[in-house]
Amino acid sequence: MTGRAATRDEKLVAWVLWALAFAALWSTEAAVGFTRDESVYFAAAEGYASWFRLLVRAPAQAFTDSAIVRAWDYNHEHPVLMKTLFGLSHMLFHDGLGLRDAVAFRIPAFAMAALVPALCFLFGSALYGRTAGMFAALSFLLVPRQYFNAELACFDMPVAAMWLLVVYCFWRALEDTRWGIACGVAFGLALATKHNALFLPFVLTPFALWRAWTASEGAPEARVRLGRFVALFAAVAVLYGLLLVALGGGEAFQKKFLLLSPHTLFFVGLAVGSVWLLRDLAPVSLPVTRALVPVAAMAVLGPVLFYLHWPYLWHAPVDRTAWYLAFHATHNHYAWFYLGTLMRGPPFPLTYVIVKTALTVPTSLFAPMVTGFLALAGRALLSLSARTRDWVRMPTATEALVGVNAVTSMLVISHPQVPHFGGVKHWFPSMPFLGMLAGAAVARGCFALWEVLKTRRPSLPSFAVTVPVFALLLLPALLALVHVFPYGTAAYSELAGGQAGAATLGMQRQFWSSHVTGVLPWINAHAKPGARVYLHEVNGFSFRDYQRNGMLRPDVRAVNSPFDADIVAYQYHQEFREHEFLTWQAFGTRTPVTGLYLDETPQVIVYQRPE
Amino acid sequence: MPSPRLLRALPLAELGGLLLVALLCLVFQLRLPGRLPTDADERAVAEVLARDARPGDGVLLFPWWTERARLFVPPNLPVHGWLDSDKADLSEHPRLWVLGQPELPRSDVGAFDAAFLPGRKALGAEARMGTLSLRLYENGRYRPRHWVASEAASRARVYLEQPNGSRTDCPFDGRVHRCPGPPHLYVAPEWHEILYEPRHCLWMHAPGGAQRLVAEFDGVPSGMGLRMEGGIIFEFAHPKDPRLSTAYLGVDDAASGQRLLDVPIPPGREGVQKAEVVLPPGPARTVKVWVQADNAESRQVCLDVMALEPAVGVRP
Repeated sequence: MTGRAATRDEKLVAWVLWALAFAALWSTEAAVGFTRDESVYFAAAEGYASWFRLLVRAPAQAFTDSAIVRAWDYNHEHPVLMKTLFGLSHMLFHDGLGLRDAVAFRIPAFAMAALVPALCFLFGSALYGRTAGMFAALSFLLVPRQYFNAELACFDMPVAAMWLLVVYCFWRALEDTRWGIACGVAFGLALATKHNALFLPFVLTPFALWRAWTASEGAPEARVRLGRFVALFAAVAVLYGLLLVALGGGEAFQKKFLLLSPHTLFFVGLAVGSVWLLRDLAPVSLPVTRALVPVAAMAVLGPVLFYLHWPYLWHAPVDRTAWYLAFHATHNHYAWFYLGTLMRGPPFPLTYVIVKTALTVPTSLFAPMVTGFLALAGRALLSLSARTRDWVRMPTATEALVGVNAVTSMLVISHPQVPHFGGVKHWFPSMPFLGMLAGAAVARGCFALWEVLKTRRPSLPSFAVTVPVFALLLLPALLALVHVFPYGTAAYSELAGGQAGAATLGMQRQFWSSHVTGVLPWINAHAKPGARVYLHEVNGFSFRDYQRNGMLRPDVRAVNSPFDADIVAYQYHQEFREHEFLTWQAFGTRTPVTGLYLDETPQVIVYQRPE
Repeated sequence: MPSPRLLRALPLAELGGLLLVALLCLVFQLRLPGRLPTDADERAVAEVLARDARPGDGVLLFPWWTERARLFVPPNLPVHGWLDSDKADLSEHPRLWVLGQPELPRSDVGAFDAAFLPGRKALGAEARMGTLSLRLYENGRYRPRHWVASEAASRARVYLEQPNGSRTDCPFDGRVHRCPGPPHLYVAPEWHEILYEPRHCLWMHAPGGAQRLVAEFDGVPSGMGLRMEGGIIFEFAHPKDPRLSTAYLGVDDAASGQRLLDVPIPPGREGVQKAEVVLPPGPARTVKVWVQADNAESRQVCLDVMALEPAVGVRP
């Protein structure tokens, strides 16, 4: 397993893909409503941006804990890389250049999401050829739920991009030491994006060690130094474990984690020891060094960058990080409708992630993901037996890296105790890798067909095969995307029977409240002046954002109950049926006045108080 | 070892399979608009219903979630559609109009018929308006109602009753019978959800402790079934928290004190709970409909009691 630098052409294509994706997202974002979380992040981003203003105006004051807490305490359940970018982008593009509020916040999200097709192309091309890379790149944003999430100033798509970037850097590091440092930096930024990144070292380290082990075969000096490197990490892990036990558990461990404490000393020892050992190793074996640099870089730069990027941690890093980790380790469960059952808590079905993916990714894209992954797994299995080994080409370590990353996020969320709300977004980091495997499946088919056709027409160019194949595979997904956009959380695949089939199957109709945009024009046209409007599930921030982005009349007022309202826009959720019936009670009618119905499925139902 | 020819054919077979799937997906996407009803189809259905529906009729949606029809169906016609409404008795309606969308993806007419048809008989041919189907059925599960508590709520006497029999009145303010105490302590007919089903029922939140919230009704006919249907509304039924108490719903004969109906609803029991007794013939009675739970938390009860005849069955 070694990385491969992209060619000049590949870099150019990657930039073009990035630019096209960025432009597509920007040009279509205005239709996308503000999800519950997104409006919270808008508010947080504005608060964080205000700190940067203070930093310029009164730097000494800005660094005090009280000033930091005032600006950064809000929404401290998530790290702040993306929210800071949203805030700075808003300052530049809205306050400075006068762009619409929402687009100014969202621009960094477009930039991050657009990285995915570009990186898919680079990685996929190096691994399986440009046909595969291009299919992976083009197909990614044709998945309606992925395109929808790519529009949002949230973290799910950015962390998928960061995950892919870290893996790409890791892979490139195997042929270029500088990429190992880049891997550490990317990992730090991934940690600063969302907590999914915490799993990355567990995925990548075994590959690094395996690569170092094979590269040191027949080189006893390198093997010894590899052993020392592993021993250093093991020793530090043991020391932390002993410290935890000696101090009497997690709480005391946390309490005594100070700047000058054994905790810090161990970390510094790990950092210094890693550098020293790698410098010692480099003259002996460059391949082994290259394999280990990303591990050391992630271990050292990851926590450092995580700390540095988040002012909220600067004065109380341990307690505030511990709170952040505990928040996600004990995240509450939201009701979620799945195959006719309202799931309210664990244990969740083991097959949920696979089924939900199958029912939401356009089937013409999901099928090659399945065959791509099964072919890889099949080759791996057949390679295990001496009898069948000759039948197949054994998967390379890079292929294994892609395969493992394709399933890691899905496996993590599949755990029956892990919260299962949020559609498919929590395992987005798996999707680019599944896309690459899909690309591999399509590419080998195209090549085989081209080979056959060439026997009859030797001059036949390969694109004469790939273009129609791509068109047929991608067109249904494009149609589905255009059909359901901008109502991304309602999207279901052909396998589900689309939105209507999914409703009959008893799947979650939608979530996150952004589909209310489908009825805002009616409300703007029909609400009486100063009308009291209850937008069910739409939080106060989103209500304000619809008004300040010109999507909702400024004179209408938000109320929190149908009983106080002139107009109610009820969001259809199985767990919220009571809210609609309360509207019947409050308005004395069961007849709505309008609604957003996607392929007949009720999404948002509007009632108006009879005069 | 498999032949090289076979190994070479595998990617071709894989591609062939993928292209076939893609082709089917394309057909699905292109056919989809034609499987959806237009507003004109909905209006055509509404015209038929406005013309031919009788008072007492109801409309049942198939699939159950196709609620866009509510925008068009005449407001005086109750429209039913909730998870599992296919098998609901809808015993308040002598006739039912089934408004179907059999061409929608995954619409399973066979499963619907299996749940809906027992005890029903079609009263004519199915009409098609575009992709919509409309058919009238005689509802053999219809049970003529002679008295319904939620419809007689304004005439009830409502009070909180201690175990020793002492009472605190909950006077009627023209809309609800409001009891002294927390604002949720009142009795009135309201719309609520019990396990996704919309119910127009008597709101009777358990008062807590040993006392009962009682709604006393006169003139309840004898010689037929007395039926109680009720449950804990919304999300409050689901938790099995040991702090929560069983809610007891019941009906007593006011004169004799005899327990006529009794429905316990322990924490975690969802859905509409039902109990029925056949009252012997005799003069009309006064009954006490009551609810009690030691811990009132999350015991948000909505119930109804009715005097009704047996199901009429379908005529041959």
